Amino acid sequence: MKTQKQEDCPEHYNISFNRKDLSLGIHLSGQFGLKNLMIFRSDINREISKQKIQSVTIDFSEVCYLDSAAALAFVQIEKEAASQNIQCRLTNLNDESKGIFSVIHEDALILLPFKSDQSQYGFIHQIGQSSSNIAGEFRNLVTFIGELTVAFLYIIRHPKTLRWKDVLFYIQRAGVDGLPIVALIGALVGLIIAFMSFLQLKMIGANIYVPALVSFAMIKELGPLMTAILVAGRSGSAFAAEIGTMMVNEEVDALHTMGFDPVRFLAIPKILATIIVVPILTIYADLFGIIGGMVIGVTSLDLTIKTYITQSIKTIKVFDIVTSLIKAGVFAALIAAIGCQKGFQVRSGAQDVGKFTTSAVVAAIFMIVVADSIFAIMFYYIK
Amino acid sequence: MPKGQVLDIKKNTPIIVVKDLAARFGDNVVFENVNFQVYKGEILVIVGASGCGKSTLMKIMIGLDKPYSGQVLYQGMDIACAEEKELNQYRQNIGVLFQSGALFSSMTLKENIELPLQEYTDLDPAAINTIIKMKLGMVNLAGYENHNPSELSGGMKKRAGIARAMALDPKVLFFDELSAGLDPVTAAELDDLIIKTNEALGTTMVIVTHELESIYKIAHRVLMLDKEAKGIIAEDKPLDLKNNATDPRVISFCLRQKPAESAEKRFYVS
Repeated sequence: MKTQKQEDCPEHYNISFNRKDLSLGIHLSGQFGLKNLMIFRSDINREISKQKIQSVTIDFSEVCYLDSAAALAFVQIEKEAASQNIQCRLTNLNDESKGIFSVIHEDALILLPFKSDQSQYGFIHQIGQSSSNIAGEFRNLVTFIGELTVAFLYIIRHPKTLRWKDVLFYIQRAGVDGLPIVALIGALVGLIIAFMSFLQLKMIGANIYVPALVSFAMIKELGPLMTAILVAGRSGSAFAAEIGTMMVNEEVDALHTMGFDPVRFLAIPKILATIIVVPILTIYADLFGIIGGMVIGVTSLDLTIKTYITQSIKTIKVFDIVTSLIKAGVFAALIAAIGCQKGFQVRSGAQDVGKFTTSAVVAAIFMIVVADSIFAIMFYYIK
Repeated sequence: MPKGQVLDIKKNTPIIVVKDLAARFGDNVVFENVNFQVYKGEILVIVGASGCGKSTLMKIMIGLDKPYSGQVLYQGMDIACAEEKELNQYRQNIGVLFQSGALFSSMTLKENIELPLQEYTDLDPAAINTIIKMKLGMVNLAGYENHNPSELSGGMKKRAGIARAMALDPKVLFFDELSAGLDPVTAAELDDLIIKTNEALGTTMVIVTHELESIYKIAHRVLMLDKEAKGIIAEDKPLDLKNNATDPRVISFCLRQKPAESAEKRFYVS
């Protein structure tokens, strides 16, 4: 890219103009490249348009460095001059500079893009596109539920085909590894409820109801809900990212071609493992919630540990625990299924993986809340 | 730069000097005592069987990995122990084409090429746009600026990768596994593009590959690394390497044979 004089090529450039009648001589020396392109181009253009001329001669004899961007700028200067009926000549180009000019294809510069910029689509087009996307997503969801059902029925009939090793692996990932954070959040939530209710109940001297309130809230609502939200953030996202990356790497296509059903192979172990661990995590969260409440009970309410536990147990009914576990199981199925389904929707690239991982968590939390509302009404009438 | 001129490379000044380079993975020595020079304007091809450390060598040369010991000198600056600021300066002078193209999948081709131009120059959007069109034209992809990488074939991705690598008119271009995974016709087209670019722009090129066809077609000089020898076993012009080699490992590579008895015999008989 550099010419023969590169060893003593000065970093700066110099342009001298020589005006004679209606012709302009431009003598260049030094380096011409990306770094000074904007300046020398405007200098030359200004000089050309200053006075009426008929011809321009650009002398390259002392140019010691020229890159393709600078060459392009000279091609454009030449074209602009031609459009003003000024004859422009590039002289004293050495072999290397000629080589650089030879890679500039003028056709490529004026060719319109084969594909228009997407942001230029009209409003109606965008509405249509979005509607079609939503319809496509709904179709995907229905298809996935169908595939999942078929895979589950197959597993029930052929339990040996289930990859138990994977199930155990995900039990560890989603369950065992999640114990510390679930315990911490559970304890803090219990502590907060106990403290807030204590502030209110002490005004009417009803401190004794604090243990009841904490255990009731934890077991009926907060335990399953908090656990599910945590699992959605920890494991739902992980499932989506894992399957999504496998989609990008064509690993899922490989499974297809090897005759495996990707849903049975990838999704079922994850869903099953989550359904097993989330109820257990929920009980764990409930327990730590009650312990968190007990800390306030013992330190601020002057209750003994024994009284606190007795009061808590009095409130808890078997029905509540069972419904709490059913809820946890359903939440688990939703989280894992949505995570896997979003993962399978990834088509290409890192951005898609990020998009569908986010979407898996958001959709899972939304579905958890919707399901919780349905359960609240359902259990009320069952009772 | 005409090809005949480039072949007389020794007259030229070296642009990159590799001195006593050694690389290790833990206790495992990948290579050691590697010494060679890359001359201005040449196409240097680094070859060798899988696992011989070709890619490691390239990663060290582009400043992505640090060597165990030794130096990589670019215009007197040691890449191996350069500060991040100096490395960034160096990286503006080189372009790298990765094996899969490594185009940013979330961006169109235009945005991919635009990125270094926006970052390192003060050009206005119109000038950048024209440069992008020119670069795409140089790699025969004119008109594809709004396409996403996922919409392109393997060969097109490689060419787009070259356009991005050449965005800042680098002094040295590095290519990792240039024609891996491409059909012979596309690979040949890519070879032509490399030759054309080298001749027209005089860009120095360091290519890591094991495609024999490409080596004979494009290389001015070949450097062969070997896993057992843990270093360079041959350094020559491609045809000289093929015709005059005495080392059985070089012969078996050039003849595309297993390093079996036949190659051994050939060595000892001759």
